[in-house]
Amino acid sequence: MAEPLLTVRDLSMTYVRRFGLFGRGAQPIRALNEVSFEINAGETLGIVGESGCGKSTLARCLLRLLRPSAGSILFDSMDLLALSDDEMRLMRQRMQILLQNPYSSLNPRMNGFDLVAEPLRAHAAMSRKEMSERVASLLVEVGLTVDFMSRHPHQLSGGQAQRIALARALALNPAFVILDEPTSALDVSVQAQIINLLIRLQRQRGLTYLFITHDLSVIQHISDRVAVMYLGKIVEETSSEEVFRDPQHPYTQALLSSTPTPDPTSDRQRIILPGTVPSAANPPAGCAFHPRCAHVMDRCRRVVPAQRNTKADHRVSCHLYDSAQ
Amino acid sequence: MALLRVENLHVRFKTPFGALRALRGIDFDLARGDILGLVGETGCGKSVTGRSVMRLLDENAAVTGGRIFFEDADLLRLTEGEMHKIRGNRIAMIFQDPATALNPLFTIGQQIDDVQRTHRAGSTRDRRRARLELMASVGLPDAAQMADVYPHQLSGGQQQRAMIALSLAAEPDVIIADEPTTALDVTIQAQILDLLRRLQRERSISVVLITHDLGIVAETCQKVVVLYAGRVVEKGTVEAIFADPQHPYTRGLLAALPRPGSRGTDLKVIPGNVPSGLEAIDGCAFAPRCEFVMERCQRQLPPLMSLAAEHQAACLLHEAAVHG
Repeated sequence: MAEPLLTVRDLSMTYVRRFGLFGRGAQPIRALNEVSFEINAGETLGIVGESGCGKSTLARCLLRLLRPSAGSILFDSMDLLALSDDEMRLMRQRMQILLQNPYSSLNPRMNGFDLVAEPLRAHAAMSRKEMSERVASLLVEVGLTVDFMSRHPHQLSGGQAQRIALARALALNPAFVILDEPTSALDVSVQAQIINLLIRLQRQRGLTYLFITHDLSVIQHISDRVAVMYLGKIVEETSSEEVFRDPQHPYTQALLSSTPTPDPTSDRQRIILPGTVPSAANPPAGCAFHPRCAHVMDRCRRVVPAQRNTKADHRVSCHLYDSAQ
Repeated sequence: MALLRVENLHVRFKTPFGALRALRGIDFDLARGDILGLVGETGCGKSVTGRSVMRLLDENAAVTGGRIFFEDADLLRLTEGEMHKIRGNRIAMIFQDPATALNPLFTIGQQIDDVQRTHRAGSTRDRRRARLELMASVGLPDAAQMADVYPHQLSGGQQQRAMIALSLAAEPDVIIADEPTTALDVTIQAQILDLLRRLQRERSISVVLITHDLGIVAETCQKVVVLYAGRVVEKGTVEAIFADPQHPYTRGLLAALPRPGSRGTDLKVIPGNVPSGLEAIDGCAFAPRCEFVMERCQRQLPPLMSLAAEHQAACLLHEAAVHG
């Protein structure tokens, strides 16, 4: 059994929204609500959910760009929340993030060389010659050529810019990379190139990924495990094959059925959820999904469903499975 | 008989780097009551086509050839006054980002009323009744209250519903929907696509659905037009295109999609990049990226060739099949 590289326990994050004159009013917004999961070294956990489910807050908490309100994050057996800021800065060499839009995450004034060399300058002592060799080999590794050292972000296509961002993320040889919708802004043919590249790099470098997306077809292709989030909670978690073979939470079922498939002959019944995701500032009582759920029972309106194992490797938070062990 | 017919449409943009050929001869027909998907990647000309039909091109763009027939009128030859009567009234458009398309200073009810007054006669009371019916029919809850709210008070999905209500207010024959669900979550996207299908069924509205998502096309459209670099590379019924894609580009696009069971395999990649439109292209624009490229492809512009009753592809590979 592989060792977990990352263990997250009961992670909660509550923002406080200030309103009124001089911000005298305060309203708590619970963006993450007791989120727990593990990721084994060398594996990919896919996090699926719609806007407002807390998936980006989760990414920022893991890197401690935000301080979670409660819970623990163990990375390589080290408690990230107990580290000092300096220790955390060193730790971030091993934890990197790739964002959705490379044009907004890459400094437009820097060329390819400086963009990839910047983390090396910040963290690694090396000569100019070593550095340029290192940058060159990173560029080649992500499928670019050394010519890209002199190009600025506006001279790059979306796919090329994402490759530069990836070279930059890999510069310090991280063990863990958070991929936050890395292909959502790309065209289909370019998306395929980047996904293939991410999988190849994972194999070659033994990387561990947390892959955040709203696109289930991408998730099933790249992830070993999948966690489905709704309004700050993980509602279902299991292996990638299992979630597509036997989705159990009504929200997961609706997500799967809402994802358009490129097959006009498929006659599957579409589940169309009514309404929208409620505000995290004022979540529904009981199960947060109950106002949109077709299977809602009286209990769902009052009692928060506990997480249960419906199978050895399948966790669901839904009252429909209360009788399951 | 086609309700909307686009013939050999050419559009150029003036750019600091020279003329950009955005459309290089687009042909398609929209039959009454159909949903037609215009599909392609960034820069293929799908939005420019939609805007050309509405005559809403930016100032640096010009139609340099071709015709756009709506019923019997060539839209490109109408005066601005005549076009004004068609735009919104007969052909309406909805956009990707409803938040920027709706006016933030007026309530939803006021904006719909504005369209009603411009395009249809009727008393204030009749208009109000029609308005509330319309809002209810696009799935805006509590229409009477919803009419009095401003766009920023609505969620993204509700804003898009309001936008659709706005576009329906003048009872148009055709709706051009430019990536109407791209900014929305999947469960909300499913609601909006369901609404479009229902409007088509119940009001026999014809829709041109502009999208980059082949899944949306497969689930929503009857006909598909695949664009590449400002030209139609393949068109036909959804069944024909998805079951039996004939252009190497269409095949490449479909093969590049992750699917159930694709885990552990490399996704198929189309090498290279889309041409910019700035350089002159003599032959097939896809030739530099095509795995079946022949010497002729570099010189000869492939025409659309019929492969079946409702299936055409613009690829020289099919020349022998068609003529031989």
